[in-house]
Amino acid sequence: MSKPYGLVIEDNPDLATIFCEALQAAEFETRIIDDGQEALEYLATARPDLIVLDLHLPHTSGDTILREIRSNERLAGIRVVIATADPQMAESLDKDSDLVLLKPVSFNQLRDLAARLAPRSKE
Amino acid sequence: MTILNRILNVPSSDPDDARRRRLLNILLIGVALISVLGLIALSLVALIQGADQTISMALRGAIFALLGTLGIFAINHTWSGQVASLLFVLLLTTVFTLSDEPRQVVDGRSVFLFTIPILMASVLLRSWASFLAAGLAGIVISLLALTIPGYIPPLPTIFGFFAFALVSWLSARSLESALEETRRINRELDQRVELRTRELRDANQQLAQANERLRELDRLKSRFISMVSHELRTPLSAIQGFSEMLLAGVYGPLAERQRTALGRITDNTQQLLHLVSDLLDRARIEAGQLTLHNAPFSPAGLVEDIRSTLDVLARSKGLMLTTEIAPDLPDELYGDEGRLRQIMVNLVNNAIKFTEVGDVRVRLYRPNHGAGTDEALWAISVSDTGPGIAEGDRTRIFDPFRRVDDSATREHLGVGLGLSIVKELTELMGGEIQLTSMLGEGSTFVVTLPLHDIEEVSA
Repeated sequence: MSKPYGLVIEDNPDLATIFCEALQAAEFETRIIDDGQEALEYLATARPDLIVLDLHLPHTSGDTILREIRSNERLAGIRVVIATADPQMAESLDKDSDLVLLKPVSFNQLRDLAARLAPRSKE
Repeated sequence: MTILNRILNVPSSDPDDARRRRLLNILLIGVALISVLGLIALSLVALIQGADQTISMALRGAIFALLGTLGIFAINHTWSGQVASLLFVLLLTTVFTLSDEPRQVVDGRSVFLFTIPILMASVLLRSWASFLAAGLAGIVISLLALTIPGYIPPLPTIFGFFAFALVSWLSARSLESALEETRRINRELDQRVELRTRELRDANQQLAQANERLRELDRLKSRFISMVSHELRTPLSAIQGFSEMLLAGVYGPLAERQRTALGRITDNTQQLLHLVSDLLDRARIEAGQLTLHNAPFSPAGLVEDIRSTLDVLARSKGLMLTTEIAPDLPDELYGDEGRLRQIMVNLVNNAIKFTEVGDVRVRLYRPNHGAGTDEALWAISVSDTGPGIAEGDRTRIFDPFRRVDDSATREHLGVGLGLSIVKELTELMGGEIQLTSMLGEGSTFVVTLPLHDIEEVSA
């Protein structure tokens, strides 16, 4: 049985590392993408189980990516955890995401949440 | 009234001219009326007695006067007040000259009639024009006297005319100067009013500008705080995250002393993060951007959440944290649970921070329940057995950024923005916060909030 796959879309390398470590601690395979446009291109072919999404990204913003994920049939069912420092953005995107985490996102918190959102724990 | 005014008034840029022309019109109408009445009376006499020479002369005089008045009235209205006035004086002089037997006009009963054109001249033309009219009357009676055998020009009468002209001149002049004085005062008043109005307008404008600048500064401040808070959060997040990872053993096992040091790092980072969150909240409240997300929630869940979050902190100081929910509180309340939690965490945190011995009690209840008050309320009270808050500080502790050099508040410095945010959030929710405290015995904060009927709000 292969590990669940988590994609971290975050342009700050430190935060990206923390998110990755948290996902790995919850037994995820991980990948980091630090650019919005690149993330969109990557999602055209790949289908992760969970995405940790920052909203302030270079080239393409996080909410555009979120809309793409939610409108694309093939990407349906992907768990999206939004990590943002902007409480207003967090409020406005609350209904489109599985979870909104207000930065600072705690390592322990994300690790436990990811473990709960992992596909096999659902099945 | 407007018709009368239209007949009497002649629009003129010179107020003196307008005044004289109005006066002339009044006199003309008077003379015309007298002429008409005279005509009627003379006609009746002529019909009854037959027209002798005196009556036909008088009739002619009356018709002449009536036509003259109408002509002068037309000139006064359409062309020139001065010409009309001059003609009026001439008309009066002529009419009076012809109105009686020459003898009577020269030194008899009609001689006094000439005082009328003299007086009119000073009132209608210039004040000194009375002398001209007196001269004219003098010439007229002199000429008239020469036509009567045995008569010479009556010098005393002519002298009398000039004496009367002098009196007219003086009276008219003093009248005019009084009018001029009134006008000057009015002009000065107008100027003063205008000046004051302008000053007021300028002051108002400056005030509006200053206000706008203040608002702009406030907006800038809010935006600045929000931006700085935002920028502070990212590195703080990284510090927090890496510390947690180290503590969680992601990078290998830690020695006890390293663990303790890391614990201090995370504690301090947490404090800093709280402060940044408070700053951001404050900026949002000030900018009016903080909106409440009301929904039904369980008060039991909220209290349990607070207890589990802060129990560790309380126990680490050897304090008891007790929670209680009054039985008459509904199982479900309506409000912004996240913000209510923020209020309670802030209050309980403070209570623990300032209490060394004893306990911290959290209680949810319905104040005045059953006491017949109209308003349905519920309340959160947080009591401690700390040092208490001096009376002078009780309102001040709700101010944001209390002065650092104030020795009375120095010991409470750690409170930071917490209480001011608690107060603002409470008010945003339509509630109020009260503080009762006894020095040396403890403090109780009570947040009273409106109790919304769940059925009502969800309907």
